[in-house]
Parts: sequence; structure tokens; C-alpha cells
Amino acid sequence: MSQGKSFLRIFQYSETSILLELKAEPKLDLLNELVVFKNLLYSNLSGIKQITLSYKSLLLQFSNPLKKYKNLKEEILKLYSSFDSSKSTIKSKHWNIPVCYESKYAPDLSILSEHLKLSHHQLIKLHTKPIYQIYFIGFLPGFLYLEGLDAKLYYPRKKSPKLKVSKGAVGIGGRQSGIYPNQSPGGWNIIGTSPTSMFDPNLKQPCFAKSGDTLSFYSISETTFKKIRKNRIPPNFREIIL
Amino acid sequence: MIEILNSGWYTSIQDQGRMGMQEYGIPYSGAMDMNSFNWANKLLNNPLNAALLEMTIKGPKLKFHIETIIVFTGAQMDIKHNGNKASLYSPILIKKNDVLECGACKEGCRTYMSVLGGLQTERILSSRSQCDHITKSGHINKNTILQIKKKSFELNKGVTLKSPLPSYITKEIEVFKGPEFDLLESVTQLKIVTQTFTISHLNNRMAYQLEEKIIHKLPEMWTTAVLPGTVQLTPSGTLIVLMRDAQVTGGYPRILQLSNHALNILAQKSTRNVLHFKLKSFE
Repeated sequence: MSQGKSFLRIFQYSETSILLELKAEPKLDLLNELVVFKNLLYSNLSGIKQITLSYKSLLLQFSNPLKKYKNLKEEILKLYSSFDSSKSTIKSKHWNIPVCYESKYAPDLSILSEHLKLSHHQLIKLHTKPIYQIYFIGFLPGFLYLEGLDAKLYYPRKKSPKLKVSKGAVGIGGRQSGIYPNQSPGGWNIIGTSPTSMFDPNLKQPCFAKSGDTLSFYSISETTFKKIRKNRIPPNFREIIL
Repeated sequence: MIEILNSGWYTSIQDQGRMGMQEYGIPYSGAMDMNSFNWANKLLNNPLNAALLEMTIKGPKLKFHIETIIVFTGAQMDIKHNGNKASLYSPILIKKNDVLECGACKEGCRTYMSVLGGLQTERILSSRSQCDHITKSGHINKNTILQIKKKSFELNKGVTLKSPLPSYITKEIEVFKGPEFDLLESVTQLKIVTQTFTISHLNNRMAYQLEEKIIHKLPEMWTTAVLPGTVQLTPSGTLIVLMRDAQVTGGYPRILQLSNHALNILAQKSTRNVLHFKLKSFE
């Protein structure tokens, strides 16, 4: 058993699902623990239809109503106490996402630049520097929950959301940064636009990224933006081990 | 094929939905009242997941360009088949050029129309359920063309079932404790499971908001998993019941979870209908 493992709360959520919640603050090693434990559950528990991950929990959904919840609970606890996420060899991917920060594609960049007292150049540098952790996908199909925004770029959401934020818009909302996979209403300040398709329902895997992957942004020109969008060029990645 | 002459108030193609795709942030979708959906397909001996039409509040006007058999289930509705009254829960033989005019839903708000073999519309991510951001449109429109299969057998004798209407009329919505229910003060808990709630006009396939507020002191929380049937409590005290097209994650405390049965019943309720929660525990 690894040191410092978090307390696991097991809760029957619906007739066919169980919620596993870790009592801890979301941070990188917790995410890794969840990803590894999720894989372990998939291969060890029968009748699982789907496991979805969020900041500090896993939701296990079963094909049929749960008849032997108590036995299942014991089995889950046993699996949890015996696994060690540090010995994982699960492969993840690091994605390089192109973003055009030119004013036409960045309606709120100047406002942020003014309020945060950073030049456009400094702002872009701070946004493209970190490695962002992909926690999970939610809110909209293909919307990645990313952690890792530089604290110098924290900026509150707009007081009233805009009705139309364009597809690919890269925004900052509070302590988060993210990419709008489709045109939708939204309250984040838009500092750039990515030509990369974040969600395509016609693909078998409609979003390239998944929980446990990482991502970073790099700045591109308008010409490159147009080329990538027109030719639907998928993003570059390299494999990483969790 | 079936031609849509008039789409009604809100009509969409639904099957059992997209279970298993939530890691991409894709809503579950599927028929709001699964019980009526299942009956509609069973009565035609269709595959369990056959796609059909879900009609809300008021049904569409349809013209058939092919022979087939159809069945209506769910909320009572005035249906005119070439001008003659037709009933729910009984197969209807359709001939080429037949026109079907669907009226308003009564004692419920969703009526289902299944077609022999199921609707053969586009399948996206292993489901034909219409949903914004996933399929081209979230609902059917005037002039939409619905492809169906050729009828392969003759209808000998119609079967009629007694309509299961009384179950919709109940105000009782069976719920289980949600993960954050125990964080509420006991007086608040008691209030939630004893008082009557009214469905606000903000109700659709994504969520139903309730009018009565519940004042509470629950802290903010990290975005987490939610399901259709999850009852969220917003900071301002509004209860939001998530329905089939809801987002797959949410940041509000999850105070209750509807049973599958209750979710189907709620799907037949609409603006100004009242309900009360009945707390149950898992066996």
C-alpha cells in the first residue's frame, strides 16, 4: 500500500451506479491515482458499463441494477487498499495545441492586458509556458477541464456571458483556461482562437484527448491558423508515462 | 419515408441514447419517458433500441409515402388518421399517402410514435437520438424526411393495451439521498422531503427548474459527475432536476437522485405541475 493514500468514500448514487470520492484536494498525484484506479476497476469488476472521472471522484455505472452492493463495496475497498499508482505504466499523451493570439482572434486580449498590467507578448508567453493537466471532459462535448494556468493570468469571468463565443475560442475564466469546442454562450474572456478541432461527432473517438493527458499551447500566425483549419490538421502529441 | 408537414411544438428523434460516451462530455440523451418508449417498441416487436418520435406538448402533422405500422404511447393525445380518430397503445396500419395529424398532449406532455422497424435516420456515436452539438439539429423541422424500412408482414389483428395513464398523475417523485444531502441541516432536509414543489416554465430535455427556493449554507464544490435524475441545489436555493440531455458534469451540490421510475414520471410533467419528493433507500 502506498503512503498517504486518501480516504475513499463509497456511495450508492443511483439504482445502477456507485460514486467513489476521495477526501483530498485535487492535484496532480490525485488525478494520476484516479486514472490508474479507474483502469484497475475496469479490469477487475464485472458488469461495468462506464467509469467517468472528475476532479476527485469516479462514477461507476453498471449495466444492471445493483443487487449485491455490499459485496461490491468490499471488493472496491480491497482493490483500493492494494493498488499502488506510483507503479503505473499507463501511457498518456501530451498535446501541442496551436493558438492564434492576433487581435482578430482575441477579442478580450487587450482588456486583460490592460487590467493585468502585462504586455500582449508577456501575456502570450505566460499562457503558452505551462504544461496543463487534462482532468476530464464536461460542460460541453469536447470541453477540457484544464489545470495549470499561471496565477498571474487569473481573471474573473464576464459579469454577463456573451451569447456567442466562437468555435475554438481560447479563454480565461477565474483560475481556469479552456477551449470552446463549439460556438456557444460563454462568460470567459477570449485571448485567442485555436484552429484545432476539439470535437467531431463523426469520429469514433470524437475528442482526441482524455483524462490524464497533458496539453500546452503554442502561438501561431493567422496564415498558419487558416492552413490548419482548412486542412483539419490534427494536433501533434508525444507519449508520456503517468 | 415520412414527410413532416408541420413539426409540432417540439418533436425529436430518440432511442436509448449515448450511454458510454460521457468521458467525451457527451450527454446521455434518449427518450425522456423510457417506460413509454419501451412500450412503443414492444408493441411493434421492434428492436429494443429502435428510434422513434418523441412529441412534446403538441404533436406534428405527418404524411407517409410508404406502407407501415405505427403505435402511439405516452401522454394521451387527439390523433387524426386521414381525419378519423385513432387511439394510443394500439397498432395503426398506415397506407401510402396517409396523413396523420397529432393534437395536444393531455394528462402528460410527451407522446411517442414508433414505426415498424424503427426510424432509419442518421446514427451518430451509435445513437440516432437528436441532441444539440451532436446531431445536425436537436429536433425535427418542417420538410425533414424520415427514412423507414419497408413493411415486411401483414397486420393480422391489432392488440390494444390499457393505457398506463394513472402513473403520470401521481405527484409523488421517488428519490434517494444524493451525495451532498447529509451536508444539509436536518430542518432543511425535512423541508425538502415534505413540502410541495412547482415546476417552473424553465423545463426542457436538459433540466427542470423548480419554483420554491430552499435556503441553505452548502459550500461551493469542485465540478463533479452528475446523472439524469440528479437534483442540484444552486447557491440561490433553486432546485434543478437534470434530465436526459443534461451536461455530464456539474458544480452544484447533488442533494437528491430520482429513481428511474420517477425520472419517467417527471418527464410527463410540465410547467406549473406540482410534485413532492418521497425519500427511499436502496435495499
